[in-house]
Amino acid sequence: MRDDTGIGGRADRFPATRDSAVLAAQSSDLLERERGLAILVETYWKPAYKYLRLRFGESNEDAKDLTQGFFARAIEKDFFDGYDPARGSFRTYLRTCLERFAANEKKAASRQKRSPGGALLALDFANAESELHREPVSADRGPEDVFHDEFVRSLFALSIERLREECLVRGKDLPYRLFERYELDRDGDEKLSYERLAEEFHIPVTQVTNFLAFARREFRRIVLEKLREITANDREFREEARSLLGVGAGGVAP
Amino acid sequence: MTKPVLGLLLGGILGVFDGLTAYFTPEARSMLLGIVIGSTFKGLVAGLAIGFFSKKVHSVPWGIVFGLAIGLFLAFLVAAMPQPGGKHYYFEIMLPGAIVGAIVGYATQVWRGKKLSTA
Amino acid sequence: MRWLSNATVAHLRRVAEWPDLGATKYRLLGELGRGGMGTVYLAEDTALERRVALKVVATAASAPEAAERMLREARILAGLEHPGIVPVHDAGALPDGRVFYAMKRVDGQRLDALAASVPLPERLRIFRRICEAVAFAHARGVIHRDLKPENVMVGSFGEVLVMDWGVARVLSDPAPTGSPAAGSGASGATAEGTVVGTAGYMAPEQAEGAVASTGPRADVFALGGILAFLLRSEPAAPRALAAIVEKARARQPEDRYATAEELSAEINRYLEGERVLAHSEGVLERAGRVFARYRAAILLIVAYLVVRTLLLIFGRHS
Repeated sequence: MRDDTGIGGRADRFPATRDSAVLAAQSSDLLERERGLAILVETYWKPAYKYLRLRFGESNEDAKDLTQGFFARAIEKDFFDGYDPARGSFRTYLRTCLERFAANEKKAASRQKRSPGGALLALDFANAESELHREPVSADRGPEDVFHDEFVRSLFALSIERLREECLVRGKDLPYRLFERYELDRDGDEKLSYERLAEEFHIPVTQVTNFLAFARREFRRIVLEKLREITANDREFREEARSLLGVGAGGVAP
Repeated sequence: MTKPVLGLLLGGILGVFDGLTAYFTPEARSMLLGIVIGSTFKGLVAGLAIGFFSKKVHSVPWGIVFGLAIGLFLAFLVAAMPQPGGKHYYFEIMLPGAIVGAIVGYATQVWRGKKLSTA
Repeated sequence: MRWLSNATVAHLRRVAEWPDLGATKYRLLGELGRGGMGTVYLAEDTALERRVALKVVATAASAPEAAERMLREARILAGLEHPGIVPVHDAGALPDGRVFYAMKRVDGQRLDALAASVPLPERLRIFRRICEAVAFAHARGVIHRDLKPENVMVGSFGEVLVMDWGVARVLSDPAPTGSPAAGSGASGATAEGTVVGTAGYMAPEQAEGAVASTGPRADVFALGGILAFLLRSEPAAPRALAAIVEKARARQPEDRYATAEELSAEINRYLEGERVLAHSEGVLERAGRVFARYRAAILLIVAYLVVRTLLLIFGRHS
């Protein structure tokens, strides 16, 4: 039942609506390749930029150039073809590539001035930069943690964006707005209750509960779908899902 | 044994002994029998009342307070009775009477009738 | 695209992990806590219109065994109907396959959080209630095996509930033999050599993984640990209580109290001012205890005697 909404058991745990962008990025089919790369860039450019800024102390401009350069190179030069799912997660592979790329670029830069080669990708660096200043990174987060944190942030932000779009298209504007109000815009407002939401939105409390349950369910489905996209195989997907959401390792066979 | 019965018995027994202490007061010795009977009767009435109170109210402090009060009150009635010599022994009767009431009040509170299983 | 603070990201992770109760009669209200085996959520039972606690298996744990353990815990609890043991209402599987069970929502505090704010006699009474619940389980052939203050809830009306029966051992289940590496069998029972429990509360035989010899006395040991915990805030714990702790936590099982009931009776003796069996007291100590026990009576009698004596003396003078 309701497999399309992702609560029908297996479909929820292993959303197969989209193929792996990681595999697509390695494809020989150009269109497929482009689609895969676009998804990877969309998910990873911000974590990459912030990682360079925060952990390598790169300046705003350098980090911007390096990020641009990294993804441009990845698209041009089959960077991601070298990824072998058997040897670890794609996220770790990408981070290692990024570190290596940054190191090489710096070596090269000491010999000659790097030329950014024009804006290749339409990435909103100003926005990413402003986000950096909104919350300090706690000192106990290691380089890998910082990258992971930014990855999760990016993944969730993209998922919320998609949730918003899908809700709009399906006429589920209100569930999204409730989700936004209750889960995203609380600002530590511990007293925000379903009752108060019901008053604010002029709907019965039962509807608040149902709408919120719906939105959470959809959010969860989208996150898992996105995870599915950016992992190479089932095993990696499960591991990521488990570490991110504590799900995916199975449960009872349907 | 129920609490009122215990109160009655204890009140009576303590009343007897309380009355007998008059023996040590030479001028009262001649009236000893009357004093013992009066004191016993007072003890019985107070004990019964305290026993019923304990049945209703389960609290050691309140039991003691009630015993004290009823002992004091009954002893006052006894002490206020017209005396042959015209002299009233308020202190001598009321103070011990009150304490005896308190003792009965305490005893009826801690008394459980039969030993309850503790587990 | 919106920016998400760390707190929001953390919150969303929890939200996305929340079980999907869509096809059940429960409605999710929030999260109550996390344990090794699963997460406990606050939910509303829409059919009965009451709040319940839903324990949902953490799929992060190895899946089939975890699910089996969860159901086993629910069944054990269902068989233990006692005011001191949290009642189970329902069990089943969620649409996403995760196993859950519904239990009474206990409004209260965990014993470890509550203990310091409660006077000693009250703490001992709570402890006695724990012993009673454990004794009841033992009588039903169930050993808890993970008794600790964190696993005891004290309700706002003073009710005491022993929780987390996830690693309980049912004595009628023969302990499966086999390599420890095999872990728990399909029955959910623990294989010989597997260590379950919490360090500090675990009996030595339990810590060694001697499953077959982990009986009621292992729980008695853990109860001794709880009692020691309850005494921790006392500047000087009464010697009789320290002796009870010592006996309950004896290294050899046969040196401990044989049953939780015996331990409870011992606590009762202490509370009643009677002599505690585990402790041989000196004359002074004994006199002190007897005086403490009959303090009111002794004081009243002394008062009477003093008054009588004073009246005699002053009567003579006047």
